[in-house]
Amino acid sequence: MKYGAVAVAVLILIGGVTTALLSQRPWLPRSDVVQPVPFSHRIHAGINRIPCQYCHEYARRSENSGVPPIQRCVGCHSSMAEQVALQAVRKPWIDRRQAAFEIRWNRVYTLPDFVRFYHSPHIKAGLACQRCHGPVETMDRVTPVFEINMGFCLNCHTQRHVSIECSTCHY
Amino acid sequence: MAPEVSRRSFLKLAAATGAAAAVPGCKPAARHLIPYVIPDENVIPGVPSFYATACNECPAGCGVVARVREGRVIKLEGNPVDPIGAGALCARGQSALQGLYNPDRLQRPHRRGADHLINPVQWDDAMAQLGKALGAAGPNQVAFIGPPMGPAYEEIVARWMGAVNSRMRMVYAPIDSARERNLIRYCFGQDLTPLYRIDRARTLLSLGADFLETWYSPVELARQYAEFRIPSTKDGEVRFGTAYYVGTRMSMTAARCDQWLACRPQHEAAVALAMLRVMLDHNLVRPPQGIDPGAVKKFAAAYDPHAIADQSGVSAGMIERMAREFAQAQGALALAGTDDDAAHAAAWMLNAVTGNIGRTVTFAPSAQPPAAAEPGAVIEAMHQGNIKVAVIAHANPVFSMPLQARFAEALGKVPLVVWCGGVPDETAQYAHLLLPINHWLEDWGDGAPRPGISTLRQPTMSRVVYSRPLGDILLESARGAARDRAPEFEDTQSAVRQVWAHRFKNQPGSESFDDFWDRSLRQGGDFRQVNAAAAALRPEVFAKPIELPEAADRPDLTLAAYPHIYLYDGSGADKPWLQEIPEPVSQIVWDAWADIHTGTAQRLGIKENDIVRLAAPGGAIELPAHISDFVHPEVIAVPIGQGHTSYGRYAKLRGANPWLILPPGRMTVAIKAAATRRSRELVSPLYSSSMLARPIVETMSIAEFTQGSKPPPWEEPYPEPYETYPPVEYPVHEWGMTIDLNACTGCGACIAACYAENNVPFVGKEEVRRGHLMSWIRLERYIPATADAPPLLTMPMLCQHCSHAPCEPVCPVFAAVHSNEGLNLQVYNRCIGTRYCENNCPYKVRRFNWFKPQWPEPLNLQLNPDVTVRGAGVMEKCTFCVQRIVAAEVQAKLEDRKVRDGDIVPACAQACPSRAITFGDMKDKHSAMMQRRTEHHHRAYKALDEPLNTLPAITYLRQVYRPREEV
Repeated sequence: MKYGAVAVAVLILIGGVTTALLSQRPWLPRSDVVQPVPFSHRIHAGINRIPCQYCHEYARRSENSGVPPIQRCVGCHSSMAEQVALQAVRKPWIDRRQAAFEIRWNRVYTLPDFVRFYHSPHIKAGLACQRCHGPVETMDRVTPVFEINMGFCLNCHTQRHVSIECSTCHY
Repeated sequence: MAPEVSRRSFLKLAAATGAAAAVPGCKPAARHLIPYVIPDENVIPGVPSFYATACNECPAGCGVVARVREGRVIKLEGNPVDPIGAGALCARGQSALQGLYNPDRLQRPHRRGADHLINPVQWDDAMAQLGKALGAAGPNQVAFIGPPMGPAYEEIVARWMGAVNSRMRMVYAPIDSARERNLIRYCFGQDLTPLYRIDRARTLLSLGADFLETWYSPVELARQYAEFRIPSTKDGEVRFGTAYYVGTRMSMTAARCDQWLACRPQHEAAVALAMLRVMLDHNLVRPPQGIDPGAVKKFAAAYDPHAIADQSGVSAGMIERMAREFAQAQGALALAGTDDDAAHAAAWMLNAVTGNIGRTVTFAPSAQPPAAAEPGAVIEAMHQGNIKVAVIAHANPVFSMPLQARFAEALGKVPLVVWCGGVPDETAQYAHLLLPINHWLEDWGDGAPRPGISTLRQPTMSRVVYSRPLGDILLESARGAARDRAPEFEDTQSAVRQVWAHRFKNQPGSESFDDFWDRSLRQGGDFRQVNAAAAALRPEVFAKPIELPEAADRPDLTLAAYPHIYLYDGSGADKPWLQEIPEPVSQIVWDAWADIHTGTAQRLGIKENDIVRLAAPGGAIELPAHISDFVHPEVIAVPIGQGHTSYGRYAKLRGANPWLILPPGRMTVAIKAAATRRSRELVSPLYSSSMLARPIVETMSIAEFTQGSKPPPWEEPYPEPYETYPPVEYPVHEWGMTIDLNACTGCGACIAACYAENNVPFVGKEEVRRGHLMSWIRLERYIPATADAPPLLTMPMLCQHCSHAPCEPVCPVFAAVHSNEGLNLQVYNRCIGTRYCENNCPYKVRRFNWFKPQWPEPLNLQLNPDVTVRGAGVMEKCTFCVQRIVAAEVQAKLEDRKVRDGDIVPACAQACPSRAITFGDMKDKHSAMMQRRTEHHHRAYKALDEPLNTLPAITYLRQVYRPREEV
């Protein structure tokens, strides 16, 4: 009896730990994300000093910050010299016979379904994007700096005397 | 040696490993971000857009605002600018979304092959076949069958009929106002549209008119009725409208009146005419000008109240009392809703002789109805084989026409039947070509529900299935059939615009048409005041006596069919919300039943749930019996709407269809009833019809209200003070709600709104039977045992957001917690599903997810992205629409201001047609919600608070009633 119980417990433990190690916890920011287009935040936001909200334009108005439409990319790139990359996006844009290039960005930051987050009040409160997303303007490929978990949110909310009621984020 | 593992450490170990195993099981969130190629400048992802349009679920035509998130309609709400709905929307209107996203909608055009099965075809092929057939058809060989579809669509149909050279337009809607129109023409000699003003009346008489459910314009009349029924004291005088319902069954409307007077079928008119006689005998009224008083007296002399009392079952004393009240009231209104012409004529006589025309009911000249052929002539032409092509749109005549009309048989003789619709229904079974058409939320269109009101419909989203607008199908097929006579409209959109431009030309004003069009689109139509038309009762009406049914011809049993409040004429049956919201009086879900009186059931030897066979001359239907005292003993009442043999997975093979056995144009038929040996359980979420002596729905009589006396306190009040925990502090807001039980009609609009807003899953009949109904708000229904009470008690029951919430201290994981804004929160990610909270909740408003909720695609497109979809094993309940509270607070922050009263309207309060629900901040004494509590403070109470000390955030206002009397 006792051997059986131990065996079952050990098996469950091994199974659980293995699964936990092999899987990626889906709500954590991911550091291994490779994008379909080799987009560099360092060049755009760092060297060229394009403001974050020029591309992520909905951040101050919506819960989503928004990913720039292709039009926004081409808006600059079509007037730039040929050697600048982005042919894959520009070509279909100029040549209307081709279907528009659709970029499927891979998410770096995700939140689980039971967490509600509004970007707009955080921008309104004067928080820099870097406060949560790290120094993105120095990164060629975005990797998370902070583990965005509940503790991370609560630390800031507590320091700034913002509501930490459950219903602020969970409903 | 075996290691010592105690039971305790094994459990610890198992719990830890179990948690480790469970965590990775969470479904990964969406992994991709796909940006727009070219963004729509008016769309901000994450922020809803709103489009004004007009509801098409019934002829009332309420204005609707569609809430659109990321290109999908997720919620329908009333359009506050629209004068009919005035911002409210009934359960049927709310559920139109499930017609749009119905998983059984025809995905693409289909053609019926030689094997009688349907196969998908290309649109081009289908249109070519239709165009060719139309081109080959001779004059008057093409029929179009459909309901009245609004001026623009009627113009398209008229021009299409012109192009195919046919006059066979059959205007067909199973429930229409033809009888009302005809009787108004008979009584007043002109085509007039009535505008009822219940709010201007002090006494109301309904002759079988279910004006809070399906009759005329329920949302509008419910709003007026609430005004009529909310008691008020002004200058020392108590105002509280008196309402009587004379009819064969106690409908929800009858239950909201002071008294339901059970009446033999077809005898409603007799009661009204006896009232007329009493009024004249006692000189309570003077006949209107231009009518010879002698003629009226002579006419009324035939209706002796005592003889009529014997025949109708309504006592002579009651008739006299109603007559006196009706004649002496400052404003009275009689409404007739039966299938009997006499009742309508009698109601107009009562309104006219008491001088209420122009007061409680005004008239406006009617718009020209669409040119149409006689329905009988079209069906006959089909029988003769003279119709080569029949196009049927937005109608299901095979389901809703009586078998006696032999419509299906006639349809079988048409070589090409083209069905245009959403979910393939019974009529589609007879079609050779099935064309999916755009839902009204995807299409252009307009409506003219009444003079002065023109609603405009616009697409609120791109199409869900591979459908086309009906107008485009008609216009293209007309071009294919007859290039020379084809209508010049390009498509539906330009047709609507041109029709509106044409009408605009006839209107004076300085506005340009473009401005007018934009304004109309933005506000959902063009709303104008029209001057009331003068109308006087024709003297000829009194020249001929109205024949009353002879006692000798009286059938033993009559079947009285009535449109189900949610399923209406049957078109609602494909929508799971409408199936799952309990019918207000019987509380039955997902089925049809036969209402049988207790005595009749005994006589027939029928028990609850026994299937009875109801045989009429036209055929027979079989239904489970629902036994109550809410129906006249000589009547078996059956709701219309179920009994589909097709029409999608939610409608198919449920209940029976009374349309089939009714005579054409009637809602009643003499039947023979017999028990079968079978039974089927009728399912309702009801636990008890009695409050079991607990103070749940509290009432007070009009006498108590007049004296200003409060009902005595609960016999065992809680010892005061009784506080285990320190009181909760609410620093900024304390959200609360006031619900006026005198305004609440029990219509269930709040339930449908809650389903839509909060991603509440529907579970189906079997799960409701097992007590797994998920709705966060329900309508308590109790049947009082005494006459010193309203006929039926209803009360919206939702989470009371108690300050002393019994659910909170029992939760082992703090999933049920109290917020500093007075909300009783349920934190889904904490919940482990012990269900202790549900057990400890005295209001029984918590719902447990026994299963993973299912929304078959594309019903899931309706889900509100601002609300978490709860998984299996999680407890949920009303949140006071916390997502709307947070959204309003975020908006206020962005605008550097405080949240204003009225910024937050929960879905239930938004939908409520009678405006019974008000939400607001209890800390703000000037909020509309607190004003309502103060104004009606002597009616205010908190449910179960006295015995339990729960301190709910919801204050109910007691229902004031008149004791029912047998006179």
